[in-house]
Amino acid sequence: MSKEFIDHRNHVTRRHFLGKLSLGIGSAALGSLLIPDLFSKSESPLASLGLPHFAPKAKRIIYLFQNGAPSQLESFDYKPMLNKMAGEELPASIRMGQRLTGMTSGQSKFPLVGSYFKFNQYGNSGTWVSELFPNIAKVVHDICFIKTMHTEAINHDPALTFMQTGAQQGNRPSMGSWLSYGLGSENKNLPAFCVLLSRGRGNGQGVYSKLWTNGFLDSVHQGVQFSSSEERVLYLKDPEGRDRADRRNMLDQLSQLNDLNHKEFGDPEIQARVQQYEMAYRMQTAVPELTDLSKEPDNIIKMYGADCLVPGTYAANCLLARKLSEAGVRFVQLYHQGWDQHGNMVGEMPLQAQDTDRSTAALIMDLKQRGLLDETLVIWGTEFGRTNYCQGDLSKENYGRDHHPRCYTIWMAGGGVKAGTTYGETDEFGYNIVRDPVHVNDFHATVLNLMGMNHEQLTYKHLGRYYRLTDVAGNVVPGLIA
Amino acid sequence: MKQDAAFNQQPIGFLKSLTLFILFLTTFLFAFENRIELPVWLQITGRLHPLLLHVPIGIIVLTALLLLLRAQFKSKQFVLLMTYLLLFITLSAAFTAFFGLLLAIGGDYGADTLQQHKVSGLILAWLSYGVLWFYQSSSEIIALKHGSIVLLLGVVVFVGHTGAGLTHGENFIWEPLQTTEPNLDPETVSLYQLAVVPVLEKKCFSCHNEKKSKGKLIMAVVEKFKQGGESGAAFIPGHPDSSRMIQFIHLPLKHDDHMPPDGKPQLTQPEILLLQAWIKSGADFDKKLGAYAPDDTLVLLAMQNTSFTKVAPAYTFKAASADVIEKMNTPFRTVFPLHVNSPALKAEFFVKDYFEIKALEELRQIEEQLVSLSLSKMPVTDADLNLLSRFSNLEVLNLNSTLINGSGLGNLTSCKNLKSISLSGTQVTTGSLITILTLPQLKTVYIWNTAIDAVGKAELEKAYPHITFVHNLFTDESTLALSKPILVNEGILKATDKIELKHTMPGVTIRYTVDGTQPDSVSGMLYEEPITIVETVKLKAIACKPGWYCSSLFESSIYPEGYKPLQTELLAPADKQYRGEGSTSLTDGRKGFVDIFKEPAWLGFRNNNFEAGFDFGNKPPAINKVVLSYGDNLGAYIFPPTEVQVWGGNSKDKLKLLMTQKFSEPKGYRTPYMSFITVNWETSNHTYYKIIAKPISKLPLWHGGKGQKGWFFVDEVFFY
Repeated sequence: MSKEFIDHRNHVTRRHFLGKLSLGIGSAALGSLLIPDLFSKSESPLASLGLPHFAPKAKRIIYLFQNGAPSQLESFDYKPMLNKMAGEELPASIRMGQRLTGMTSGQSKFPLVGSYFKFNQYGNSGTWVSELFPNIAKVVHDICFIKTMHTEAINHDPALTFMQTGAQQGNRPSMGSWLSYGLGSENKNLPAFCVLLSRGRGNGQGVYSKLWTNGFLDSVHQGVQFSSSEERVLYLKDPEGRDRADRRNMLDQLSQLNDLNHKEFGDPEIQARVQQYEMAYRMQTAVPELTDLSKEPDNIIKMYGADCLVPGTYAANCLLARKLSEAGVRFVQLYHQGWDQHGNMVGEMPLQAQDTDRSTAALIMDLKQRGLLDETLVIWGTEFGRTNYCQGDLSKENYGRDHHPRCYTIWMAGGGVKAGTTYGETDEFGYNIVRDPVHVNDFHATVLNLMGMNHEQLTYKHLGRYYRLTDVAGNVVPGLIA
Repeated sequence: MKQDAAFNQQPIGFLKSLTLFILFLTTFLFAFENRIELPVWLQITGRLHPLLLHVPIGIIVLTALLLLLRAQFKSKQFVLLMTYLLLFITLSAAFTAFFGLLLAIGGDYGADTLQQHKVSGLILAWLSYGVLWFYQSSSEIIALKHGSIVLLLGVVVFVGHTGAGLTHGENFIWEPLQTTEPNLDPETVSLYQLAVVPVLEKKCFSCHNEKKSKGKLIMAVVEKFKQGGESGAAFIPGHPDSSRMIQFIHLPLKHDDHMPPDGKPQLTQPEILLLQAWIKSGADFDKKLGAYAPDDTLVLLAMQNTSFTKVAPAYTFKAASADVIEKMNTPFRTVFPLHVNSPALKAEFFVKDYFEIKALEELRQIEEQLVSLSLSKMPVTDADLNLLSRFSNLEVLNLNSTLINGSGLGNLTSCKNLKSISLSGTQVTTGSLITILTLPQLKTVYIWNTAIDAVGKAELEKAYPHITFVHNLFTDESTLALSKPILVNEGILKATDKIELKHTMPGVTIRYTVDGTQPDSVSGMLYEEPITIVETVKLKAIACKPGWYCSSLFESSIYPEGYKPLQTELLAPADKQYRGEGSTSLTDGRKGFVDIFKEPAWLGFRNNNFEAGFDFGNKPPAINKVVLSYGDNLGAYIFPPTEVQVWGGNSKDKLKLLMTQKFSEPKGYRTPYMSFITVNWETSNHTYYKIIAKPISKLPLWHGGKGQKGWFFVDEVFFY
């Protein structure tokens, strides 16, 4: 009896169930007519960002980061007043009680000190450049100097992190990651964001991978660090005794297995992984083509200086940066260490300049003669400036300078910047900004603008709010844009 | 008349009287509306109006519908039913009108529609009372009685419509059908009208218009919007964060002041951003769209929110379909629009090993849209250039480092819009180049590293003064030094390995020595093939090339592998900061770096001697030499040892001194480097050897740390 009852119930239930189900499906189908994109595949996030927002002036960036804060007073911000008043105390009316680092706040005196190195004027604009940078001086007509950068942090790590990610605390996406997120990759055979490191001969400060992190963005936007060794991209070579055909065969077999797996589970990550393997396979061809210097004419080697043949030097990185950029890499980030001259300015500054001056200028000329400077933005930047007063012992022969966030000099060339100009002005003591300050956020906003993006529109929702490279501040500086 | 008597009994008679009372009261209040001050509790009663109003509407519709079904009832019952229904209509209509009047007195509603609603509502209430009275009367014209009920239905529709106009806006019903094509002329329409008004219209105007101005704020009229509401300005131009309307938008949904109120359609994120950006940029009501910069945040947001696509068309040709563009993109060919909504396309080719001419041919599908093309480094020949002749809108062409010599450039004469062409690193000649120099738009030609020399360039500049020719920018005739040669296999060589040297610059000669002498451009051995060594050597090498100065000296110590002890032990402990990996660090084949002494390759000694034992087991090899590899970094207090002793024997306890060697201390600072000490003795077959090395006990007088103890750092010990 009970069995019949259950059978009966089951029977009826199934009919009922199917009957009701068809009704339900019918109504859902009708409803879905009103929701056109309910069952269509989701749009790619980039398409919804609508990028670039407008015609970009630059398509790629090479960012030559001078890590440690090269002194603006020994390089590009000429202040003869400091030579005149050398040894005299920094006037309180200039310092205005502003904070100092722990390294000099204990000093009883703050004697002004002028540049040990001579300045000369160059180009039609009569730009003052220190004798330490004779080659950069030759390309000032391509450069737009910003004398009035200012930042919020006073120590290296937060300042560096701020300059590179728009926040002092780290773990936000770096500039290159935002660019990669916003514009994607031009050359699908190379990462969109590459990082090249070199050590200088002066007092150095560390660089950490948080400076090229993707933060909360997708990990494909992370900067790929190139090795300083001869094998610039690690783990790219086929294992010993295996050739390209083996590799191809292996990938084909593997992708068949992955296809089976994908058919069974439908996980898009499986396809993504297959794509990554294929990209790595293509990189095996693309990268050696890039790192092979034997095809470079003698003239190019001479231009960058012979150091460019030694992997891991700044000069080699400049040359590689040109080649990467030429091959469509969106953002090439260089870091050159050794610019932290708290003491021994006279000893270390020339060494640092020697290692970087020639190849920096060469990079600009090289891009120009290939017709690439117009679409490549070259940035020479750092985290902050150095004080106009001496840190430690002041002698006729040597001195040092402490950190100075109130004003510092960076420059840009190519890609839509006002070439041959200087923006902003610091006071005659090189301590405060007199006109046209450029905050780090403003700098980021301007760089994104040059790349065809509106900094307020390049956003990513994370932890319940929309983040930007410029976070909640920043204004484009029209005076920098041609 | 029996029913009438029953009908007029309690409480029905009472309800009729109550209705009449309410009707008079309402009419009285309506007449003296302006003088009334409403107590708070009555205001609350007024807010019941939106609830109650559905009752008379529902019953009126029901009553009218029942007229259609009257054949189903017995006639007497039907009359009684209708009478009851009319009573409920009358009662609820009266109360609804009364509450409605209270609400109108307490609320902020626009004048015209409200007046219509009030009057018509009052009429409805009286009319329903009238119909009830008529229905109960002795009149025999049934059709007229039923007709009066239909009239009631008509009036309630009108009253309901005027009321809905108050809450939802007057155009509530027809709005979805009125899709007027917006005027998108950027020169004549203000951005406010084009982008901001549609948002406000959808989400704000229904409560903030002239008829219904909640909080006394009228947004629908520009002048009144600027004035603000009862608590002040709605916005402060330039300051979205301090603007009341933006603040209210951002309040939590449940907050009383949140706008739009909970339950109404909320603003979307892009709409909020648009309103903020509009206020931030000065809340301009008149600025024409065309007057904004195209990269302005406000313009970009406006473009997102409205249907118009571009501010000023830079190109007149039609965009290619998204499908075609998607198909064009392969790993080795990228095609993308110059920017969002631009029909103009840029195409680039990558990785020359994968280049196929077919890929270039396929670009025909976008021949009209292609404005920029890069074939840099691709194996493109002059014969292939005819494929480019179809790209009539091409502006920028990059042929750097292709295989062309220029003979095919004539194909480009149909590219009338060409502005810039890059031919650097090709074999292009003046003769072939001039075929395209008459192109009307051409402004820049890049001819660095081509067959055209400085003289040729000068001639071109003279003949075509409006074109910029970019040639060699670098003219430094000074001689530079080469970089040092590179040692491929640094450190320890296995028995079969050879020393391999190389240089990244083609055409360089490398000269080297292993005997400690200095090689130069003529002396030393010429490096032709990898070098075989049998003992530890100090390799010195330089690179030379005509036209360059020779490189500075490359120096490195190279160690052949030697005999490996079966067991190694430290007989005295290393300093606790520099313990490395214990005794295994000495024989693991890992070399340290001269500036990173924290590395596990190193063992450091300061307070006691380095003392280590090496056991070669039962079948010891014949050994006559030990090599200690150590670090020399005098500035960091790291010195060579002062003395090294070698002890040997067949057990650990019975050892005899085989050799002692003393070393003189350095005379001054020198560049840090990796060094080694060799100690020789007469060949022996001991099973056990002990090596002692003594760190310097007092740093010399010239040193900054004079008198202090120095360090000894060892990374590897070799036996031969």
